[in-house]
Amino acid sequence: MSETDTIVEVRDLDITFQMNRGQSRVVRDVDLDVARNETLGIIGESGSGKSMLASSFLNAVVEPGVSTGEVTYHPEDGDPIPVLELSESELDRFRWEHVAMVFQGAMSSFNPVTKIRTHFRETLQDHNCDIPAGMDRARELLESVYLDPDRILASHPHELSGGMKQRALIALSLVLEPDVLVLDEPTAALDLLMQRSIVTLLRELQEEYDLTLVFITHDLPLLTKIADRLAVMYAFNVVEIGTTGDLLYNASHPYTRALLDTTPDLNVPVDEMSIIEGSKPDPVDRIPGCSYNPRCPMADDHCRSEEPPMMEVRDTQESACFYYDEAADAVPISAAPDKNPPAGRTTAIDGGDN
Amino acid sequence: MSSDRPDDSEGLESLFDADSDREPVPRSQRLERQFDLYVAAPVRVAMTDWRAIVGTAIILVFILMGTLGVWLVDKPTSGDAPVLEPPFQNPSYILGTDTFGQPIGAQLIHATPDMFRMVFAGAVVSVGFAAVVGVVSGFLRGSTVDTTLMAITDIIITIPGLPLVIVLIAIFQPGNPYVIGVLLGLDNWPGLARTVRSQVLSIREESYVEASQIMGISTGTILHRDVLAQLMPYITVNSALASRRIIFESVGLYFLGILPFTTFNWGVMMNIAYEGNALNRPDMYHFLAFPLLTIFLMSFGLVLFSQGMDSVFNVRLRARHSSTIDDDGGPKS
Amino acid sequence: MRTDYFVKRVGQAVLTFFATVTLTFVLYRMMPGGPAEALQNVILQQQMGSGNTIDPARVERLVAQYTNLQSDAPLYEQYIQYMSSVFLEQDLGESLYEDASVTSLLAERIPWSMLISVYAMVIGYTVSIVLGAVMAFKEKSRFDSISSIVVIGLNSTPYYVVGILFIFFFGIRNEFFPTGGRVGLGVEEGFNAAFMQSIAYHAALPVLSMSVLGLGTALTMRGNSVRVLGEDYLRVAKLRGLRNSRIATQYVGRNAILPMYTQFMIGIAGVLSSSVIVEEIFSYPGVGLLVYDAIQVRNYPVLMGSLIVFTLVTIVAILIADLTYGFIDPRISSGGTDE
Repeated sequence: MSETDTIVEVRDLDITFQMNRGQSRVVRDVDLDVARNETLGIIGESGSGKSMLASSFLNAVVEPGVSTGEVTYHPEDGDPIPVLELSESELDRFRWEHVAMVFQGAMSSFNPVTKIRTHFRETLQDHNCDIPAGMDRARELLESVYLDPDRILASHPHELSGGMKQRALIALSLVLEPDVLVLDEPTAALDLLMQRSIVTLLRELQEEYDLTLVFITHDLPLLTKIADRLAVMYAFNVVEIGTTGDLLYNASHPYTRALLDTTPDLNVPVDEMSIIEGSKPDPVDRIPGCSYNPRCPMADDHCRSEEPPMMEVRDTQESACFYYDEAADAVPISAAPDKNPPAGRTTAIDGGDN
Repeated sequence: MSSDRPDDSEGLESLFDADSDREPVPRSQRLERQFDLYVAAPVRVAMTDWRAIVGTAIILVFILMGTLGVWLVDKPTSGDAPVLEPPFQNPSYILGTDTFGQPIGAQLIHATPDMFRMVFAGAVVSVGFAAVVGVVSGFLRGSTVDTTLMAITDIIITIPGLPLVIVLIAIFQPGNPYVIGVLLGLDNWPGLARTVRSQVLSIREESYVEASQIMGISTGTILHRDVLAQLMPYITVNSALASRRIIFESVGLYFLGILPFTTFNWGVMMNIAYEGNALNRPDMYHFLAFPLLTIFLMSFGLVLFSQGMDSVFNVRLRARHSSTIDDDGGPKS
Repeated sequence: MRTDYFVKRVGQAVLTFFATVTLTFVLYRMMPGGPAEALQNVILQQQMGSGNTIDPARVERLVAQYTNLQSDAPLYEQYIQYMSSVFLEQDLGESLYEDASVTSLLAERIPWSMLISVYAMVIGYTVSIVLGAVMAFKEKSRFDSISSIVVIGLNSTPYYVVGILFIFFFGIRNEFFPTGGRVGLGVEEGFNAAFMQSIAYHAALPVLSMSVLGLGTALTMRGNSVRVLGEDYLRVAKLRGLRNSRIATQYVGRNAILPMYTQFMIGIAGVLSSSVIVEEIFSYPGVGLLVYDAIQVRNYPVLMGSLIVFTLVTIVAILIADLTYGFIDPRISSGGTDE
């Protein structure tokens, strides 16, 4: 895809933590492009580095983590913004105005002692926005997430249910009209019904407000319902990326295939995808070669000595496996994926692909 | 369980390993494990916390003073030595002598055993009461016993300690250090009792206690194995704080002359020095200063110890804190 | 909902007060030989001085006058008599020495003691909150560890020791502050600057030495702040690009201070009862000094009366704390049924 379509561009991103055991590299040399107005799903088991990757979109990796490399944000008009090089005050402006984030602690994302109204108001105020106009927008947003604005604004966080809080948080995240919304496990603490309705809601919001969504989860079935493209993370790096259809029907990395295999029915979510045999990778002591080789049935000496780069499987799909074309035979998926078209707009990305 | 704190991750990991696999195991092995979990591991962690080390060292010095010291140094009597000898002059009375010619160092040493008796009695009464009331009340939550105990606790928590103790002392004129300790400890338990109760309640909520109950393990065993073991941190930390409080109050009351002068006490020394106008007499400074310093040192030791133990035992809190640092990228979460 | 809670809490407070007054009755009864005999000695000494003749009936009458106890009546009658005089007549008995009721003695002294206690707590807590918050923001820094040691050190110093040191350094070596009394001699009473100034001048050292009692809270504040700094809502607040000043006050400050509110109110009562020792050191004529003087001469009615008043202050402080807590922490007041 061409440069102009990209809204967030990640190059050579490393995120490291100093530990007494040594340096812990929790995101390793990631390259990733997010296209404008798409929904990109990032999937991986817990501890694969996906939340860290998402945080870096706002340069919000928790201390004492250090991010190096490049994260570039391309506004619709104006110069590209080097996110990792912004100063504190520039970051304060950038965050929420361009890229907003809703993360897994939604249940406790609100200040327990102030009303929801205060949360909207202080956000507008600290970004020097027109408060009456902003509050009108807040009401509109709350309505579009199916909440009663007057009631919600007058409530304290503890008076709302989990689902209501999550929707209010989504409304809050959109109050400054950002272009990108990063969602890190936004549905983790919700029940199944609420999860699905949030997903539907996000799709509606995306239509209405021209949003780019980056959706991080370990819930593959959920992701197939919303994402245009999927990026699979394993061992702190992206190992496969492609349209949702590419990955569901033609997964070309043995790890992706193993993942699909552990999720037999895509309508039933699995909470933890740690069913794959073998131990999890260690961010401090990296093994040589492909990081998946200890668990991979196809691994040979080549895989154990050299790390595979991203290889183009087709126009829309890349895989970090030397043997991507053999993966389908080597790692069969016992239960065929759902016959129904997984996501409503799986082909949307093709349109932007010249 | 990764941690960015270089000082304690080893100990913490061993704590968690021991805790995570609670399965029926032979008694000896279980004891060993419990020892490791509740004694060895905290001690290992404590050895890396300077506050715990310094605090323990100071308390040990005082214990030596109260045992070995008393045996090595003669009990001071009036006229032992020249009156108001300045400190650091004569090796026989390094800390100098008081207005009666009693060596100050020897007085400080001989006041220690009674101090310990008081502290011991007071800590046992306050912490013991608190533990019993808290555990009983927590286990019988909602029952009449619980309601009654908590009502009594609420009343006693409200009655201000010092004035009550003063009235009691005025009436009974206690001379025995154990009795004084008990009187001082009497008003000190309700706060801790409430803490213990809420701890018991939260422990009861935890799944493995429920599991033990389903498995038919008796309440006594649960109480012993899970509850008391988990309460140890609170009891240790609060014993140290209760001790400090008893020292403060008893010395204060001796200093004011409210407690009868039946024994050597740092407060009695302060009283005599203060009444003798030591603040205006440079030749008497040391008579007042050394008891002050002694009280400070002992409570400093106790506070350090309690602070150190608090952070040693507060593993859960720290684990939660450090888990926010590596919410996703940690090695094995 | 709210009125129910109000009624319940007030009921509890009244019950507690009732229990305390009962306790003083029990304490009177527990005196070796009972109140009559215990007081007899004191009264005898006192009467001896005035050269009066001593007859047992007169002693009995005096005991009743001083303590509200008719020691020859049956126990339950004594109890009812005692309780009704405290509750219905606000009569706490009479001082054995001054020709004054205990109630009036205490009423005259209480404001002075409250003055120094409240200021001591306010100063102690303000310093603690600021210090604790800064320590938490700079967790693990040199500032944090040095402050920790200083706070632990102050925490290990009894307030009366601080008082003695203050007298020594600021009252004797350098005569910055007076070491006794509550107002200067010859200062005209009333709302005039000189009077207020003199009060502040005399209260300074007692207040400062008692404020040490509140300093331990710095570590509590530090702990609370560290906890809040790790909360999700703090992270979200930073992600929202809120101003640091807002995050520090509305997010960290408010949430960290909240749990300390009740502690603060109870602390005032605690400091007030510590006034016995501090006021003696500074010869500050408040309730504490009154109690101290009463102990010296076994002035039991004053002792019992002050115990009742100290408890009353504590009960009221806790009641205020409980009833107002809902206004500052929305989670409590609404209880989920409010809106």
